[in-house]
Amino acid sequence: MPWSPILASDKAVEMKGGMYAFMSLRLHSMDLDAIERDLAEKVQQAPGFFKDTPVVVDLSALEAAAEGDAGGSAAFDGEALVERIRRTGLVPIVASTGDKSSPFAAAVSLPLVEGGARRSTEAEDRAAQEGAAASPAPRARSDGQDRAGFAAERVEYVVRTPMLVDRPVRSGQQLYARDTDLVVVGQVGPGAEVIADNNIHVYGPLRGRALCGVSGNTDARIFCQSLEAELVSVAGHFRMLETVPEALRGRPAKIFLDQERLTIEPL
Amino acid sequence: MTKTIVVTSGKGGVGKTTTSASIATGLARRGFKTVVIDFDVGLRNLDLIMGCERRVVYDLVNLVNQESSLHQTLIKDKRLENLYILPASQTRDKDALTIEGIARVMHKLRKNDFDYIICDSPAGIEKGAKMALYFADEAIVTTNPEVSSVRDSDRILGILQSESKRSKMNEEPVKEHLMITRYNPGRVRDGQMLSVDDIVDLLAIPLLGIIPESSTVLESSNAGRPVILDEQSEAGQAYSDAIDRLLGEERPHRFMDVRKKGILKRLFG
Repeated sequence: MPWSPILASDKAVEMKGGMYAFMSLRLHSMDLDAIERDLAEKVQQAPGFFKDTPVVVDLSALEAAAEGDAGGSAAFDGEALVERIRRTGLVPIVASTGDKSSPFAAAVSLPLVEGGARRSTEAEDRAAQEGAAASPAPRARSDGQDRAGFAAERVEYVVRTPMLVDRPVRSGQQLYARDTDLVVVGQVGPGAEVIADNNIHVYGPLRGRALCGVSGNTDARIFCQSLEAELVSVAGHFRMLETVPEALRGRPAKIFLDQERLTIEPL
Repeated sequence: MTKTIVVTSGKGGVGKTTTSASIATGLARRGFKTVVIDFDVGLRNLDLIMGCERRVVYDLVNLVNQESSLHQTLIKDKRLENLYILPASQTRDKDALTIEGIARVMHKLRKNDFDYIICDSPAGIEKGAKMALYFADEAIVTTNPEVSSVRDSDRILGILQSESKRSKMNEEPVKEHLMITRYNPGRVRDGQMLSVDDIVDLLAIPLLGIIPESSTVLESSNAGRPVILDEQSEAGQAYSDAIDRLLGEERPHRFMDVRKKGILKRLFG
């Protein structure tokens, strides 16, 4: 039975804001063959990584290049572009544009977002494009691409310090580490609830409930020094202590999802 | 410096009032000017345990509402020079108390050079209990050796961390003490009760005392005489030890083991 960790609402759905990291695919050319060739090459380097990966199609560089050139967008076939990208295994989900009324934005059959943050790099991109033709200008970005794989530097990680609690979590207390890890130095008492969007670490006995990855992060884990929890859950997959083998109880353990299966292993 | 100590538990019937009476009496006997306040408005009990029920004229609610003076309201103990009782009202309920009103009472007590203010909390985690613990510098969490009592104590410890004045003002946290009452080593041995180690492990706070289960506690309560005054009884001695520890002395814990049966008992079962 699907089980939701926070039972505060009786609604089936909830509207929530959220930040997600996506790869973005910045187009520097309108030549579809060239785009597909370059993309296929990248994908080949790590097929597993790129398979079915959602990407944001960033049009802002094209828009900037075509600025002042009214006919510049005439050759752009947005429909075909999306289709070509799909062929490589990537899944274009949204187009990022500097200007929603641009002909490029109008041509693609994708939802649009305005990529305001990209603006500052447009001049840089223009320089890079020009430089590519003329001389080997400093191109730190493309070096990065070569090392880390296609557009890896586009993934924006926000480092958030974990929520640290250095005293016992008592019965009836509920702690929620939003978007980050929860570290408890001490015990989590029976009837207490520790919740995190990422990992949970308990340096003491875990006797209450621990729910990690509550916003859907299936890679989140729970670590504890003594597993005596009433309930553990990773991204909604949960287990009660009753169903935990006796041999694992009262000992250091890690709890994680192994292909949708909640797994408990001794540490 | 006046020290305010709340005696609390979450669960009812575990021995809060018995402990409050004995701790207050014990501190007064060591020469500290002490007042014990009954916060259980509507279910007044402390006056019975202290044996002053016939002398209650004004009560805590009167004092909070400024209908009586401190001097009029405090009942002076007949046995000990330094001991005062501030009884609860039997005819009102917990809503009659306000933080502002209690703050005024606490201020007056401090001005009257009390060394210790012992707050006897009502059971539960509602308004009355929160009022009792709000001004606490230290807390004596009273627990019986059984799981529900321990869990409720854990809950009240959480509330101390979040609802006390010290936590709200970001001051040094309330100092926590564990008082285990109704401890019966025989039943612990037979697995019917949690052991001291179990309880300390579950609550993770320092142990102030272990009061053995004993009929003298009930007899003393009925007689209106705090059990700490009964120096012959184990419970009285255990409370006395707890006072020493509260004052910073080291005392080994006693009455934790099953007493050996005498030759007659061994022969005749």
